[in-house]
Amino acid sequence: MASIDISRYLTLYVSEAQEHLESLSDNLVKLEQAGSTGEVIDEAFRHAHSVKGMAASMGFELTAKLAHRMEDLLDAYRALKEKVDRASVDLLLSTTDALLGHVRASAEGKDVGDVSALMGALERKLYLLKPDTSPRPSAPPPASVAAPSAARGLGLPPRYQIKLKVAAGSATPGVRAFLAHKRLSGLGNVFDLRPPLDDLKAGRLADGNFSLELESTFHETEVRAALKTIADVELVSLKVIEPDAPPAPKTVEPEGPRVVGQEPARTVRVRTELLDQLLDGAGELLLATARVREVGKSVPEGARGVLDSEVDRLNALVKDLHAKVMKARMTPISVMTDRLPRAARDIARRRERDVELTITGAEVELDRAIVDELNDPLLHLLRNAIDHGIEPPVEREKQGKPPRGRVQVNVRREKDRVLLEVEDDGRGMDGDKLRAAAVARGLLTPEAAQGLSAREALMLACMPGVSTATDVTDISGRGVGMDAVKRAIESVGGTLEIESQKGKGTRFRLQLPLTVAVVQLLLVAVGDETFGLPVAKVSGVVEFPEAQLAHSQNASLLPFGNALLPVYSLAALLTVPGDDGVEQTRPYVVVEAESGKVALGVDRLQGQEEVVLKALSRPLDLVPGLAGVTILGNGRPIFILDVPRLLV
Amino acid sequence: MRHVVFRLEKDRFALPLSAIREVVVTPARFSLVPRSPPSVRGIMNLRGRVVTVVELSLLLRPDHPAIKPGTKVVLLDRGRRELGLLVTEVDGIEVIEKVGPPPPKAPPTVKGLARLGALAITVLEPEALDIAVMASFSRAVPSPR
Repeated sequence: MASIDISRYLTLYVSEAQEHLESLSDNLVKLEQAGSTGEVIDEAFRHAHSVKGMAASMGFELTAKLAHRMEDLLDAYRALKEKVDRASVDLLLSTTDALLGHVRASAEGKDVGDVSALMGALERKLYLLKPDTSPRPSAPPPASVAAPSAARGLGLPPRYQIKLKVAAGSATPGVRAFLAHKRLSGLGNVFDLRPPLDDLKAGRLADGNFSLELESTFHETEVRAALKTIADVELVSLKVIEPDAPPAPKTVEPEGPRVVGQEPARTVRVRTELLDQLLDGAGELLLATARVREVGKSVPEGARGVLDSEVDRLNALVKDLHAKVMKARMTPISVMTDRLPRAARDIARRRERDVELTITGAEVELDRAIVDELNDPLLHLLRNAIDHGIEPPVEREKQGKPPRGRVQVNVRREKDRVLLEVEDDGRGMDGDKLRAAAVARGLLTPEAAQGLSAREALMLACMPGVSTATDVTDISGRGVGMDAVKRAIESVGGTLEIESQKGKGTRFRLQLPLTVAVVQLLLVAVGDETFGLPVAKVSGVVEFPEAQLAHSQNASLLPFGNALLPVYSLAALLTVPGDDGVEQTRPYVVVEAESGKVALGVDRLQGQEEVVLKALSRPLDLVPGLAGVTILGNGRPIFILDVPRLLV
Repeated sequence: MRHVVFRLEKDRFALPLSAIREVVVTPARFSLVPRSPPSVRGIMNLRGRVVTVVELSLLLRPDHPAIKPGTKVVLLDRGRRELGLLVTEVDGIEVIEKVGPPPPKAPPTVKGLARLGALAITVLEPEALDIAVMASFSRAVPSPR
């Protein structure tokens, strides 16, 4: 039995313990920067305490013991109001890492490693701080910290007495009443439901009347509004029960990190795959609705009125659902930036740099698919900034800079995009060195390299293998991975720009879409096939007689504005058959590619459509030049093209 | 073990039933996959999911003369995705207990040979089919211009 129980709770333990430990390591980094401030150390203590408790209840004895020692040490610092020195922070961080290792090992059913060395170190430290106390047998529950001040009275949400009535003519009184009950239980806790739920569902209501009490943090007007949307159910009365009325059954809330303020957020954990599936489902509903509309067009006009209006209603509902699912997927950027301070500290210490990291705008939200994609690139940019940007303190002082380098991560929302900047005040990037490196790697001719603008030269850092770093470290060697960073950003529909001034610093600007899931496409036909080009990448469309194209060597050129753009046949690029015969005039779609604008010759234009983008599953993701796939309203699956990679 | 038995023209093949998600009638059209190897027929919409479909005949025997378009798509269950195999016709589900060794020089996609009454059946290896498709993709060199 016990083992079954453990396995049921293991997932929860793993995710919660990891969260506590990650927050704990943040706290520790803050502690080091700010010295011992009461709040931060309290928080750190609480996290350690929670981990200890969880591990103990899961039977992970060693984990619990180690967390306990850590808790003791934090407690000592807290009691002594002593500044936590750098060595102790190191020790505490190592312990946190070891605990994370334990949790991961437990997740995989493995044994945890030896902890005696860490235990010893923690005990010695504790002894130094409090020589009079030998390690205590067990810490008393930290009542003063953990008990939320809002335990009784003040913090309790208001309680409403609600009387409802199902309209006499209702065909399904049970369903109506149940819907009302369900809606209300979504707002808070329902008590004293009369009649009981089974009778309610069965429609056994006296004259359609039923009543309940609702404990909810929502305002009265919101409760009323929630009930308005349920047809056939009428609100008879709603009043607030005074706090001195019978007290709510006291629920003992397990101690957790989320008790912040007096209104606990009503949240549940959702597996991320489930979120993806929800989005798929909602996307399919959108498409299905569009298909029903198509089918409806074959119904004779006279009989179509009701169908059309119902399809419109369905469409509105589904769109609303889709929007809500998209909203549920929005994740604050803090999910990725929260671990940066710890990372920055570690990199800086290893490279003997002194760095101050500031992060602003971490509350800005993005679709979680984008957040997932950007995790590693962001860390990479940070590593680069510290490792190659920020100079060692001595060198900085020689140049008249403050010895402590600054790295800033600034996030802000700009219309429908999010701007994320990683900026350092280090030595900057050298465009000439990048040019030379690209030439040396055979990526560019010397002439082409000289022809690049300063900005274009900086972007060379994103080409595979180009690096100006004289020393290759274990942390980063600029060039190893900047191409991956750029690709990751582009794969979610974002762009990367680099600004840099020699001796002053470097700024990486990431422009990101809020969501990846919906894109506006220009649909183009090649032979019998349709392909989608993201409208964001399209600079223009020209109809032009094929015979009048300019030629240079063996390339055709299209006049566009003041420029002549290289022409590619999309059919040839994609290796799909195009229309036969020489067209007199055909459309050219001008798109942004790596090397500037190019013109793609297509057979026909088929208009624009907003689509739900799907990721490519194996083996389609092996094809270079595809960005995704989608299903059009007519049921036909089409590919969305990744323009820059098409031409590589 | 139960197997799904199907034909490529007159030749009979089988795949373990446990590896098959379903069998569907070939859709009226496929969307072509750019830059794909010749054995890839295209993609189809399977109730909102996008499935890659390969000409099984071309995958197994690239040098064999082309056969008539298949009437059924056998959908291999590959965890969170499917792989469609275009076949001439599906005969049904049969119990095949004994699978003999594959002929010498057989590709890894062939698990072995079996007999069903008087019929000779080539039993295929689902995992290897999937790998063969991926391998064919990495060989398909994109041709610029």
